[in-house]
Amino acid sequence: MTDAELIEKLKADLGDRVEIANPARRRLFLKVAPEHLVAVVTRLRDAFGLVFLSTISGVDFGATFEIIYHFSTPEHDYNLRTEIPKDRPHVDSITPVIPGAILYEREIQDMFGIVVDGIPDGRRLVLPDDWPEGQFPLRKDWTFVRPEEVIPGGKS
Amino acid sequence: MSFQIPIGPQHPALKEPISLRMTVEGEVITGADIRLGYNHRGIEKLAEERNWTQIIYLVERICGICSHSHATCYVQGVEKLMELVPPRRGMYIRYLVAELERVHSHLLWLGVAGHEAGFDSFFMYTWRDREIVMDLLEMISGNRVHYAINTIGGVRRDIDEGQKAKILEGVAILKKRSEYYFHIGASEPSFVGRIAGVGMLSKEQAIALCAVGPTARASGWDRDVRKEDPYAVYDELDFEVATADSCDVLGRVVVRVKELLESYKMIEQMVKGLPDGDIVVKAPRKAKAGEVVSRYEAPRGENIHYIKANGTDKPERLKVRAPTLGNYPATLVMLNKGFIADIPLIFAAIDPCICCAERAVTLVSARSGEESVVTMGDLRRQALARSKNAPVKGNAVWPF
Amino acid sequence: MLNKLARWSRIKSPWILHLNSGACNACDIEIVAALTPRFDVERFGILLKATPRHADVIIASGPVTRQMRDRIIRIYEQTPDPKFVIAVGACAMAGCVYRGAYNIMGGIDQVIPVNMYVPGCPARPDAIVDGVVKLLGKL
Repeated sequence: MTDAELIEKLKADLGDRVEIANPARRRLFLKVAPEHLVAVVTRLRDAFGLVFLSTISGVDFGATFEIIYHFSTPEHDYNLRTEIPKDRPHVDSITPVIPGAILYEREIQDMFGIVVDGIPDGRRLVLPDDWPEGQFPLRKDWTFVRPEEVIPGGKS
Repeated sequence: MSFQIPIGPQHPALKEPISLRMTVEGEVITGADIRLGYNHRGIEKLAEERNWTQIIYLVERICGICSHSHATCYVQGVEKLMELVPPRRGMYIRYLVAELERVHSHLLWLGVAGHEAGFDSFFMYTWRDREIVMDLLEMISGNRVHYAINTIGGVRRDIDEGQKAKILEGVAILKKRSEYYFHIGASEPSFVGRIAGVGMLSKEQAIALCAVGPTARASGWDRDVRKEDPYAVYDELDFEVATADSCDVLGRVVVRVKELLESYKMIEQMVKGLPDGDIVVKAPRKAKAGEVVSRYEAPRGENIHYIKANGTDKPERLKVRAPTLGNYPATLVMLNKGFIADIPLIFAAIDPCICCAERAVTLVSARSGEESVVTMGDLRRQALARSKNAPVKGNAVWPF
Repeated sequence: MLNKLARWSRIKSPWILHLNSGACNACDIEIVAALTPRFDVERFGILLKATPRHADVIIASGPVTRQMRDRIIRIYEQTPDPKFVIAVGACAMAGCVYRGAYNIMGGIDQVIPVNMYVPGCPARPDAIVDGVVKLLGKL
């Protein structure tokens, strides 16, 4: 199936819940609103065979977060994006549909402070145990001032 | 009586800091969990302050074994952003080094698997052969690991006729040696019996948990980025995707051994068909605003980089997902209902590159909360003792 | 007299503990490669040991991550005296490319005292063996 035929099928199936872009051969970017996310992912899995999730990326735009779900089939790559406001960063978990998404959702919780509703196991994934609460390293406004380094031998 | 066993983070079996904790009843594991963090170095945040060329060196050092795959995946993506097409000779050299890296990584893994199964001479043999590949890589690039041969727009060093002849010689020796290992596998029933039936992962489970690489291919699910999304030279080369149907550690060994043979084929094709011309085109300092998703088949599975540019000489966002992270949920399922003595083997079978996943593992499951400390060395001794007395699995056959 | 014997055995056959604190693995594979037939450190009597309580020399690699910091100190304290620490690789010396990251403290010498530094990214197995032998020569 070529890219154009696939886009026609997707438009016919999902209607106006998604906006589709095709910037390069094989690569599709679909934009969906957060409230339709789980329904669209379920439909894609059942009708289009989208079972393989590569990863979930988060991007900080300042006032909003954008979350991108990278799926792929042997013929095409689907990148599903959704945008949520920073002051109320909630998104639904897709683990009921794709169980393998659990670790990636835990990672964006740690790194951005996005709250994934309905996640079966929301514990900290990558940051150390003694990391202070409320500090999310990948946000653009989070900076880090390194403490003074100790030079053995006495010079500083 | 169920115990909770913590293992690590410092322990002799694996070379990386991992902390395992699992609940056991007798010898059977009843639950496992994940806690990561020992290896987290904050690379994605560092990448936002370095320019495009500096990030090549940063991204290479995500992992020491698959360093070229991270660098290549990144450079592929940036070249798409900048709309550059590197010259064909440069691309051939880049993917030649990539296949050599695959050979070295699989030989390393075979040694580790042999070591975990108690077959130490196999470990010594494969690592000795690995030195042949390291010498070839040092000859091409100047360093045994972290080759730094990629640059945006092509590669940095060229290879000449003498080096080509040496590569073909080295690969011929390795092919003979690898075939000898297959005979060892076929005629060593204790080795095959030790690894058959261990770490079962059915095809449905592999698909549901999004497993990648040889772990998924050993369960019969044939996904390989080199065939699906052929970047650069792979659509001109003739090779097959290696799969196996046994869904266990034996299948994973077979898949990797088959991939070794395919890689030798590909290296020969690339060296003999190396086109003439330049090796690099000049790259601009800034990239136009845009985003790109770059995928690559590293020795451990699918490596994916997502790069977003905003028109300056630094990226807006670099997201890296290394293959081992994709295999962790599958590992938990494999460990469940397994034996303690099989833990080192199951864990080693996914070819964990924990530094790639930028983290370490704590497998925890709490039932009674009781703790007892067992080191990996003890586990391995228990495993070897157990397998000595176990009846050899008569129907475990080396499928080659 | 017994002291002299103990000292001689320590120099002639040091037992090594390999400590990885968040490294990229390249230095660690080179340390393990030092055991393989090509470089073969076991002919010098150097053995890779499993536990800190048996070790004379700690070979450490990797920049220190926040999570590993307490563990490194604990391992250092568990190793019996006299002990020596060798920092292998540019990461263990000063952090290499990761300087400035929020989870990295810097080199190993920010946490425990180091006796010998072996540079390289990664350090070659021959350089590592050379470092161990030079350290023992100073005793």
